[in-house]
Amino acid sequence: MGLIQHDVIIIGAGVAGLTAGSILVEKGYNVALIAKGEPTACLSTGCIDICSLDHDPLHGVSHLPDEHPYHLVSRAVIRESIEKFKESMVQMGFPYTGSPESNRYVLSALGTFKTTCLVPSTMAAAPQDEKDDLHIITFSGLKDFYPSYITARRKNASFSTYDASASTTMGLATNFEREDFLEKFLSWLEKLNIQEGKIAFPAVLGLESAATITQKIEERLRCKVFEIPTIPPSMPGRRLFNALKDYFRKKGGMIYWSWPVSGVEKTKKIIEAVTTPSEGRPKSLNAKVFILASGSFVGGGLTARRDTIVENIFNLPVFVPGQRDNWFDSDYFSLNHGIGKAGIIVDSSFRPKEADWENVFVCGGILAHTDVLKNGCGHGMALATGYAVAASCMGYIK
Amino acid sequence: MIKTDVIIIGGGATGCGIARDLALRGIPHCLIEKGDFAAGATGACHGLLHSGGRYVVSDPHSAKECYDENIILRRIGEKCVEQTGGLFVRLPGDSKLYRDRFLKSCEKIGIPAEIISSTKALDLVPNLNPDIEEAVKVPDCSIDPFRLCMLNIISSQKRDGIIFTRHKVTEIIKEHGRCVGVKAADQVSGELREIHGNVIINATGAWSHLVAQLAGNEVPLTLSKGSLVITNHRLTNMVINRMRPSADGDIIVPNEAVCLAGTTSLAVEDPDKIRIESQEVDTIISEAGRMIPHFNDTRIIRAFSGVRPLLKSAKADSREITRGFQIFNHGDGMYSIVGGKLTTFRLMAEKTVDTVMDYFKLKKPCETADIPLEGQEELSGYPLAKRLADMKNIVCECELVSRAEVERIIKQTGTRYVGDISHRTRLGMGPCQGGFCTFRALGIMHEKSIISPEQSMNALRDFLQRRFRGIRFCLWGDQLREEQLVEYIYMGILALEKK
Ligand SMILES: Cc1cc2nc3c(=O)[nH]c(=O)nc-3n(C[C@H](O)[C@H](O)[C@H](O)COP(=O)(O)OP(=O)(O)OC[C@H]3O[C@@H](n4cnc5c(N)ncnc54)[C@H](O)[C@@H]3O)c2cc1C
Ligand SMILES: Cc1cc2nc3c(=O)[nH]c(=O)nc-3n(C[C@H](O)[C@H](O)[C@H](O)COP(=O)(O)OP(=O)(O)OC[C@H]3O[C@@H](n4cnc5c(N)ncnc54)[C@H](O)[C@@H]3O)c2cc1C
Repeated sequence: MGLIQHDVIIIGAGVAGLTAGSILVEKGYNVALIAKGEPTACLSTGCIDICSLDHDPLHGVSHLPDEHPYHLVSRAVIRESIEKFKESMVQMGFPYTGSPESNRYVLSALGTFKTTCLVPSTMAAAPQDEKDDLHIITFSGLKDFYPSYITARRKNASFSTYDASASTTMGLATNFEREDFLEKFLSWLEKLNIQEGKIAFPAVLGLESAATITQKIEERLRCKVFEIPTIPPSMPGRRLFNALKDYFRKKGGMIYWSWPVSGVEKTKKIIEAVTTPSEGRPKSLNAKVFILASGSFVGGGLTARRDTIVENIFNLPVFVPGQRDNWFDSDYFSLNHGIGKAGIIVDSSFRPKEADWENVFVCGGILAHTDVLKNGCGHGMALATGYAVAASCMGYIK
Repeated sequence: MIKTDVIIIGGGATGCGIARDLALRGIPHCLIEKGDFAAGATGACHGLLHSGGRYVVSDPHSAKECYDENIILRRIGEKCVEQTGGLFVRLPGDSKLYRDRFLKSCEKIGIPAEIISSTKALDLVPNLNPDIEEAVKVPDCSIDPFRLCMLNIISSQKRDGIIFTRHKVTEIIKEHGRCVGVKAADQVSGELREIHGNVIINATGAWSHLVAQLAGNEVPLTLSKGSLVITNHRLTNMVINRMRPSADGDIIVPNEAVCLAGTTSLAVEDPDKIRIESQEVDTIISEAGRMIPHFNDTRIIRAFSGVRPLLKSAKADSREITRGFQIFNHGDGMYSIVGGKLTTFRLMAEKTVDTVMDYFKLKKPCETADIPLEGQEELSGYPLAKRLADMKNIVCECELVSRAEVERIIKQTGTRYVGDISHRTRLGMGPCQGGFCTFRALGIMHEKSIISPEQSMNALRDFLQRRFRGIRFCLWGDQLREEQLVEYIYMGILALEKK
């Protein structure tokens, strides 16, 4: 047994785990969060999808199939979780625009519209229809952004290329954080004498100061500026992750990084501790309650074998969508692959059904029947269930 | 309209070999292929340059042909053949009698075969199942089928051969009962091209009955589907065969950075309607896993099927049908060349061109066995040093393909297909199977104005759909995880619509 006794241990540093963690520390609990690596938020656009099936996301939620985990959370709680999220992002200097009453679009790097709900302020000016004139700025050598994908679709768009001697989104974002770089860039931009009403950038406008950088460009050029999310590594995704993580830390939460949980210690129906194989660190961590927020396949919470799907830490029963042949539809674009339903089925207090443990709670992408891609409900569902799970835990600890 | 002497339909190994042979004998010719080179069975095969061992018991005649050609190809294709050597491993329970017949027949034909102990075999291939009884060492080799086609085509192009890829022959023009030309449709623009010649050679493998039909001719063909799986790394440096009569999943061939294992054998009707089943994938993995246990937990990056064009026979099991080949003179200026193996493509080409020479009453002998394949220096792979030279501009991280390399291929071939770039650079062949780099390659293509961005969106959709067909039945473990990521990138982040 380890020496430190925590009230709650959360496994996974994604949107779900960090949301649950922040709420619990704010309520005064001693919380440790452990993660083996970065969450899927870092790969994402940074936009919060709540439910993209309907123009009104909450209306969309109520039409999801009965077994969807959103139904375990009341609408009021979904709203609260969004409010809470927006507040904390303002505190972290990375404000979001939008409300859970209506969806909006962001322009994708293919020139299509991605439906989402809350967007970072750097994307607030993204066009909502075909009308806006756009001028796109790209950077020579940037291999993950091709403005012609967009100009082909939008007749009123053109582009210019700046040589920033960096070929990655991370390299460019780092450059933008430098005052001298930004100044030089701004004077180049002014000389372009752009006529279009809006200026679009691949999402590389800084890392910590993205909101202020965007604002600065808008003020200098006196026109609207917005970012277009890129494929990973994605800067807005990383900003989201950093903001959530820093918020949690600021409130007093602690994080054990690169701490892959590989086993558990248990007595009867209680998990006492989780363990890791790494040397030179506490080998096990104890807590009264464990929250499993280890994500789906990409996050690392679930692993598919040739004939079944397993949960990697507590070996919880997993809902497996039939035999392997049924995991994927033959049409790649159907968005209806059975695999999207794989995960853990929980009861109304987010405890895994038919499992042996009473002090394990589950939230986020690892839940069963989420169909995240089909329903467009990634981070939104992680926020809502993370928020709700915190309440369940508090109830249990009392 | 184009006029030539000989029209070759089909750009698999056989067609490309015929083009080279005709070129070396000075006969003007034109080759027409509906896809890229090696689009048919050639590109879907194991890439095993047979020593003959596989057929030595069931079909000694084909075995002899294979061995003779194996020696020739090692000589003329030094740089495109990897002289791996091969083992036939006998597992507990595999018949010793078969092994005896195997050795006896090898001796009779002259295929060098040496029995080695299991200890010695494990020294050679440490991943081998330690329970094997013994192994027999034979001169099997690994060959890159696509590169082989390209090398044959270089000889043709150097001697004014006319080559059309992405052109499908849709009509054979007949006058007074004789074939005098073909009409071929450009698969991109739909435009019809007319090409006239004195002789038409039908080298369309599993499609040869369909092409023959265009001229009202018949070709007796049995189609047999075979499937293969590819691992993400090389588990063996030698070809591994099972010492038993041919069955599912008993050959593993190393090729560049990966291994191919297979195959299966199922009769099919339509060469364009083949699909792989997850059961086949499972069978191949568990059979290959008996020879190399590590196979069971290795990452499979893709599975695919090809159709063997076999001569029609009364035999029920397609594995027992001869791997020999036959030339059909339809008597109207069309010749069909059917059957055979990748290994024997050169011999098939030689015999076909001999027939054509007889028709033209010309005497020049075949030289393809003596002259080394031209262009091997440039085409022999894409050395790592070259790949690493431009690290900053890597477009495909899995296979380290640089932007400059992609641009060079686009310029050289004017291609509109990502597949053509992949074949020539290995772009998209690694673990992510083009998940990231295709978006980039197409972006570069429309930046270079080769295709319109709208075309590139269609190409992207088409690519993803095809790619999915190859990986769908191999999705578990890390490969499934990677696939979920790629799916989220295209459908989530990029909001690619189905159309
Ligand atoms: C490429 C991509 C792009 C996306 N884009 C968007 C988007 O734009 N908008 C949106 O709303 N949604 C998006 N999503 C979906 C969204 O990211 C997820 O649905 C959601 O964030 C899930 O969060 P989570 O906290 O449950 O888990 P995850 O983000 O998956 O995090 C899991 C965490 O658990 C840790 N972990 C796993 N196993 C262990 C272990 N054994 N020991 C210790 N730690 C472990 C991981 O290291 C990680 O920190 C995207 C998803 C992907 C894959
Ligand atoms: C799974 C599998 C594994 C194999 N493994 C091996 C091996 O390891 N070693 C070995 O020696 N042999 C192997 N073989 C056999 C070998 O692949 C074939 O015998 C050989 O490749 C046949 O070559 P081909 O050129 O005759 O036919 P193909 O390669 O099929 O070429 C025919 C070409 O004609 C084209 N075509 C069709 N119709 C038209 C048209 N109307 N107009 C224009 N073009 C057209 C097609 O696109 C195709 O490219 C294997 C076969 C299979 C299926």
